[in-house]
Amino acid sequence: MSTPEFDLVALKKVGMIQQKQSEYFALRLHAIGGDFTAEQLHRVAEVAAKYGRGELHLSTRQGIEIHFVHYSRLEEARQELEAAGIAMGACGPRIRIVVACPGAATCRWGIIDTKEVAKELDAKYFRQDTPHKFKMGVTGCPHNCAKATENDLGVMGGILPAWQSESCIHCDLCVNSCPTGAIYKENNEYRLDESKCIYCSICTSNCPVDSWVAAKKGYLLWIGGTMGKIPRLGTKLGNLIETKERLYELIERVIAYYRKNGRKRERFGHMIDRIGEQQVKEELLNE
Amino acid sequence: MSDAVKKRLDLHGVVCPLNFVKTKLALEELNVGERLEVILDEGDAMLNVPRSLKEEGHKIIKVTPNGEVYQLIVEKGV
Repeated sequence: MSTPEFDLVALKKVGMIQQKQSEYFALRLHAIGGDFTAEQLHRVAEVAAKYGRGELHLSTRQGIEIHFVHYSRLEEARQELEAAGIAMGACGPRIRIVVACPGAATCRWGIIDTKEVAKELDAKYFRQDTPHKFKMGVTGCPHNCAKATENDLGVMGGILPAWQSESCIHCDLCVNSCPTGAIYKENNEYRLDESKCIYCSICTSNCPVDSWVAAKKGYLLWIGGTMGKIPRLGTKLGNLIETKERLYELIERVIAYYRKNGRKRERFGHMIDRIGEQQVKEELLNE
Repeated sequence: MSDAVKKRLDLHGVVCPLNFVKTKLALEELNVGERLEVILDEGDAMLNVPRSLKEEGHKIIKVTPNGEVYQLIVEKGV
């Protein structure tokens, strides 16, 4: 069986990945936070039936892959998808599709609008080249359902709580439901040990009389998370970031730093470990 | 309104959301302002039930840890 020469690198860049059955390709589709319309899903199904074997694969990054598309029909399939507003995904050493939980749009715990952040990151960075693959995840709160800490760059919503004595009925629910034991009672007052606080909003959500309020609300930035052969959880970069401008400024700096310092095929987190976590944090924050 | 507990409910070992449903049903038998004592497991139960009670308009008055469970005093809301 002879197959023509493919520019596999160029194909990978647009999410077309040669299968081990070398005549066939997997088409990886673009997605933002795993959101599709019903109409788009219909079209994806039609393309899978027409150009593949009617099989779809849901990826670990909330994307869709259409498998078993013959090389002779790649362009046709792609054009049909793009006509339905579905772009191709990405593979290789570059910025991949952004994952996100549904966030504040529908979740009770959601602190930030994850869809808005995911769209912004996608618009700015999707498919851009980096030393190795670079994955971004946006999660609405520290419950971390979208696993921000397992991505090269993770954005997480968070609040810093503050206690207001006037309305408090001293029920002790906050002390007993704080997941990290950051809240304690001293001299008949509730106190917060901010070094233990994970900004999760359980105290402010639970408090029966709203004595715990969100003094600050914003974003936490995690860098260098990865799974794969050498797993590493993300490192928190600084504390709660209160404005979008500061968030995007830091993200811009993080990606530029990786491009400048990352070796070929070196994941961002492993680069951080090579240089030293403390040094990387300082260089990113104090500029 | 009385501080006395009108009813007691031991929900140790009862999973979410059944623990909340049972708490809600027990509160339905009380008058507004009357109190219910509930025993809840640590973990998910303590994460979910207090907030659901708040959303339903009831008020937690006191939480006391006791080993792997918590004793909650809940006041029925309107």
